[in-house]
Amino acid sequence: MTVLRLGQCPDAERELIGGKAFSINSMLTLGLPVPPAFVLGTDECARYYASDRKLADDVLTELRRGIESLESTLGRTFGAAQKPLLVSVRSGAPRSMPGMMDTVLNLGINDAVEAALRDETADSDYAADTHRRFKEQFRKVVGSDPSPEPWEQLEAAVAAVFNSWHSPRAVAYRRHHGISDDGGTAVTVQAMVFGNLDDHSGTGVLFTRDPVTAQSAPFGEWLPKGQGEDVVSGRCTPLTLGHLAESMPEVHKQLMESADLLERTFRDVQDIEFTVESGHLWLLQTRSAKRSASAAVHHAVTFEKEGIVTPEGALSMISPEQLSAFLRPHLAPTARIGATLLARGEVACPGVVTGLVVGTADEAEEMAEQGIDVILARPTTDPDDVHGILAAKAIITEIGGATSHAAVVSREFNRACVVGCGEGSLMSLVGKNVTVDASAGEIFDGVLEVEIPSKDTHPDLRVVTEWLAASATGCDNPLNKILAAAH
Amino acid sequence: MSTGSSHHEDTSQELSLLQTLRLKGRATQDALASAAGIDDATVERLVDRAVEAERCTRTGQFVKLSASGKERLAELTAAERASVDHAGLESLYEQFDSYNNDLKALVTDWQMKDGATPNDHADAAYDEEIVRRLSELHESFLPWLGKLAVLNKRLAHYTARFDTAVDKVNSGDHSFIARPIADSYHTVWFELHEELIGLLGRDRASEAAAGRAV
Repeated sequence: MTVLRLGQCPDAERELIGGKAFSINSMLTLGLPVPPAFVLGTDECARYYASDRKLADDVLTELRRGIESLESTLGRTFGAAQKPLLVSVRSGAPRSMPGMMDTVLNLGINDAVEAALRDETADSDYAADTHRRFKEQFRKVVGSDPSPEPWEQLEAAVAAVFNSWHSPRAVAYRRHHGISDDGGTAVTVQAMVFGNLDDHSGTGVLFTRDPVTAQSAPFGEWLPKGQGEDVVSGRCTPLTLGHLAESMPEVHKQLMESADLLERTFRDVQDIEFTVESGHLWLLQTRSAKRSASAAVHHAVTFEKEGIVTPEGALSMISPEQLSAFLRPHLAPTARIGATLLARGEVACPGVVTGLVVGTADEAEEMAEQGIDVILARPTTDPDDVHGILAAKAIITEIGGATSHAAVVSREFNRACVVGCGEGSLMSLVGKNVTVDASAGEIFDGVLEVEIPSKDTHPDLRVVTEWLAASATGCDNPLNKILAAAH
Repeated sequence: MSTGSSHHEDTSQELSLLQTLRLKGRATQDALASAAGIDDATVERLVDRAVEAERCTRTGQFVKLSASGKERLAELTAAERASVDHAGLESLYEQFDSYNNDLKALVTDWQMKDGATPNDHADAAYDEEIVRRLSELHESFLPWLGKLAVLNKRLAHYTARFDTAVDKVNSGDHSFIARPIADSYHTVWFELHEELIGLLGRDRASEAAAGRAV
């Protein structure tokens, strides 16, 4: 039988405990502050099926012991009407698959717990919303209304995770991808922490280096008295991390040290979600940060310079697609700082250009004939806009998706194109000079600096070229081919 | 002035000519003839007459619609709309929607390997698969075009335009999948879609907002 307290089993394998628990366990093993959690291994899934879909008595006992350990770590009590403990329950197959139950958040809530949460946060909307969302999610994944008894909720959710391993969709998916039915899924139970408790609470995200401007300083957002979803949903405008440093310098310092440790351990730029509950820092998740092409190249060079990675390791931080995009004209990374974003839409054809916005195809043609760079803005494209698209440097539309007429035509002419910026968002821009970064789907006010890197003069590219020349895999490395084709 | 059926034929040809000019923005007489499905001599005569009535202008070899030409087109379109079997057309348009989604996805796949990677056409197998999908779509679309031709004879000519585009693609000229201005499959498709929207009395912006005309 495998029920493991995460952080106390440094050698637990991903196959046994699943991806989510593996990540929590790695962070806890490093000594980082992560909300306490335990996991039922994939072998428990097999045992569940072997005993006719029943949780064995010893598993039920272990569930209670696991919850007790979370309670004692946090000083909270599962199902209590004062300082209640809520948990998340997640599936944890070594690889995620459609049809598998994913997550139930805020488990352990009932009317009395909702009242306790309301008193603790002084936010009745939040407490009611948390309860409602729990019920909705529970109904969806377990298939019945949650019992008001938290222990019954927990047992039902664990059983539902195991059941979902044999859901028709999951079985069909495994058959299609040639994955064995034997593996089973793990179940991770983790304590929920609250960013909205008091004035010493909040939630945020941190990139260990700026993923867009490529600057080496940490970059992030901080939302005092916010829960995680407030940041993700964009409902509230967050502050910078500087505000956290001012209000809670010790927490900020611990966050920066944790970020540094994670970056050095995983040898990559990290995207970290965190919550502060009553002055206590909790790290919720870390993963490799998505980044712009310029940032990918620059961070690789910086990581090698700082001795975090070898040249070979640095090369693996740049994908062929990122290098190709970097070699095409792109917005200078620092140009975004202070730039005003006028509109945002969907990328239809990548490219970065600057020019004067015009509102009709005829104008586009006339101005282009005078040698002026124009950006054609349209609510949606009409058939006779084709000539205007040909004359313009870029096309931007209010309505339409990446398969729209404007998108298809602009790609055929290789014109930068952003579609679906929203009704009423563009036609007021006519007469303005703008910069269209179609690779990011963004339209900025004014003429920003566009960089066209040359491998002979760009300092980062020269470093990458030297690495490739010295690398054992140099000739076969796909980056080499891309660089050789560039001028 | 002609009368009876030949008058009707003239009106129908005039509508085709003006509509094609609207869709193309500007066109040579040769291009007009093949896109509108009218013989060269008749196109010549129709254009002469339209220029004389100031419904079109001729600049060099290009013919362009004037403001009064657009008004005339609106009149002719309204008259045609009033005479068509509206319920039959609505039901055809509903069926068109799923073909439209397939065609749009296919053309996007032809141009882009994923959201950020343009298709560099270095992978012949990838391209072949899309050409195969286009032939398959075309075959399955033919019966629909047949039904449209019964409903509105003026649009029967689209079958030949699609056939021509698909033949070019199959003979190796891949620009006939999506090239604008040329009568590629996508160009013809877009123009047909415009005809349908006009015939139904809808407008592009609301169709686009509903996710269809885009």
